[in-house]
Amino acid sequence: MKALFDWIDSRTSYRWLLHHLLYEELPTGTAWLFTTGSIVTLLILCQFVTGLGLTMYYVPSPRLAFDSVRFIMSDLPLGWMLRGLHYWGASFLVVATVVHMLRVFFLGSYKAPRELTWLSGLTMLLVILGFSLSGYLLPWDQKAYWATTVTINIARGTPLIGDAMANVLRGGVDLGALTLGRWYSAHVFLLPATLVLFIVVHIALMRKHGISGPIERQAGPSILFYPWHLIKDTVMMGAVFASLITAAALFPAHLDEIANPIDASYIPRPEWYFLSLFQMLKYFPGPLEPVATMVLPGLAIGFLAALPFVDRSGDRHPLRGPRRMFTAMMAVLGIGVVALTAIGMADRPPHKDRNDWGLLPIAGMQIATGEGNACVRCHENGGPAAPLAITRLSKDNEWLLSHMADPLIIAPGVRNPKDPSPPPVMSRFKAQAAVAYLKRVHAGDPLPTNVTDTVKLAAQTYAETCVVCHRISGEGGIVGPDLTLVGRRRAEKEIHSFIEDPEAMMGEPSVMPAFGKRLKPEQIDALATYLASRK
Amino acid sequence: MHRAADSIESPGRRGFFVRLIQGTYAVIGATLAFVVGGAVVAPSFGRRQTMWLHAGDADALEEGTPLPITLRVARPDGPSEVVDRKIVYLVKMGNEVRALDSTCTHLGCRTRFNPDTHQIECPCHGGVYDVTGNVIGGPPPAPLRAMTTRVDAGKVMVQV
Repeated sequence: MKALFDWIDSRTSYRWLLHHLLYEELPTGTAWLFTTGSIVTLLILCQFVTGLGLTMYYVPSPRLAFDSVRFIMSDLPLGWMLRGLHYWGASFLVVATVVHMLRVFFLGSYKAPRELTWLSGLTMLLVILGFSLSGYLLPWDQKAYWATTVTINIARGTPLIGDAMANVLRGGVDLGALTLGRWYSAHVFLLPATLVLFIVVHIALMRKHGISGPIERQAGPSILFYPWHLIKDTVMMGAVFASLITAAALFPAHLDEIANPIDASYIPRPEWYFLSLFQMLKYFPGPLEPVATMVLPGLAIGFLAALPFVDRSGDRHPLRGPRRMFTAMMAVLGIGVVALTAIGMADRPPHKDRNDWGLLPIAGMQIATGEGNACVRCHENGGPAAPLAITRLSKDNEWLLSHMADPLIIAPGVRNPKDPSPPPVMSRFKAQAAVAYLKRVHAGDPLPTNVTDTVKLAAQTYAETCVVCHRISGEGGIVGPDLTLVGRRRAEKEIHSFIEDPEAMMGEPSVMPAFGKRLKPEQIDALATYLASRK
Repeated sequence: MHRAADSIESPGRRGFFVRLIQGTYAVIGATLAFVVGGAVVAPSFGRRQTMWLHAGDADALEEGTPLPITLRVARPDGPSEVVDRKIVYLVKMGNEVRALDSTCTHLGCRTRFNPDTHQIECPCHGGVYDVTGNVIGGPPPAPLRAMTTRVDAGKVMVQV
């Protein structure tokens, strides 16, 4: 065995390299604060490995992207953990990179001769943010689609070249298959290659100039990297990795409903580390928008990039001499980002609750899975179509609705006057309910429990009548008030009389028609009972 | 110098640290290998799910004459879904109904029933089977694959 390694060493000098890498001499006092870079390295490695696993299953096409992520999450053994690690790893990595940067800042480690080490690090921070931005689109769910729409619209706000830039980002004038293709390519080829290049440069520069060590040079013998510093690195890496595994296991990454370009009522929110930018947009409306999207972020990055060139004093202490000014600027930047993020977090728009199914999907569940359902005529084992359980939602909303009304057609609008459509198998209302149900199920939302007969009747009634104007838990029209929490405002009796005859009850004209004669008494009873329970 | 550092610390402590470093990396590596490797390898060992399909009615079958039936088998294909078509011969032999896979056991061509000779023939290399699937001529190495069947109230159910 030794002879084999001797031979390899004689051809490669790997022992010399290993020795060079491991037996670096570090200044006395190099301790825990200097483990931040190793943590970043570990997290990047984790992202590479888990990303490699994900690319084996992910399909970068609007038709299959969502279903491929769904497949990873629900069908693939350990897939949920794989995606969980990658998802949480992204957040961990952003935090670790920023912490590493702050450490370098406060200990003044960026000062000459380490300007380029600092700049390569800053570039990597931007590359990592680029990873987050591009990775966000890939699952092709509602969150991905609408957050990316916002991102691209921000780019469009750039003076002069905005439109061209947005078109390049989208690969055309619409957000779609071409966008997904190029963002995927950037996420798995371009950005990783860039990152690897800069890691090599960063570490080579770090070795060339040595570790900066504590602020004040301490007397004493130097420390050998292996094992005396590596043990600290390793302990920190172990702790961070354990936290990552715990986060991924306890809070699995989830999937929204499949992207629906028609549903403009979706309120997109970026991932938390972009929330400060998102929040800032609210303070710079209209023509001032580029201040929030370009000027301020540009100033922040410019400040960081210029730092080693303008802060030229020899003193590394953050609270002494001319450095105090830079420390103050960094503090302002930090407080600004933290404050905006906090405000953004508090300002949470009402969101579709995964556990609150509202009435439309419940009505759809009865239609699609209940007794005598029409779908099973074809969607069954041995039938002309796959059973609903394995049918993918690869078609758009319009197709699904048309297909449910007239199952024979395979594209909306193919019927012409000579070939009129037969009486619909399913009304458009029912089809909408069925689509709402299928989307919930495909997003992996937990099925509702104890759906009573009252709720079923309320659901059917709602899906055929109320849905046109009223919204419950993210689904339905927006002409009338949102009924998601109507039980807080009104008691069951009030709701009951209101549905029967709003004008009589309120004593004033109402936009809402009286349903006392249109609905059966038991339908109104069921609706009132259900709505009053929504608190 | 590093010699100084090494001599200050006891060799026992150094050995412990080295083992701790190696152990931590081993655990991290093994965890990642388990999750990523598991997710990558797992589908390779998945078994295709079987299901019972209604292939025809026992009354409609003629004694000893194979009736070719096309079965549609919808199955998940990773994140996608496919509908396979499978042609099986239903053969009634007395009280029993057999189902034979129409795929020739030689090189996988689709066989067909020839009513004139009352034999199942393969168009590719001249394989010939009798109506129960046994080889009576040509290169096929094995009889046509018999599929599990059962008759439920006159309905012939085939397991695919």
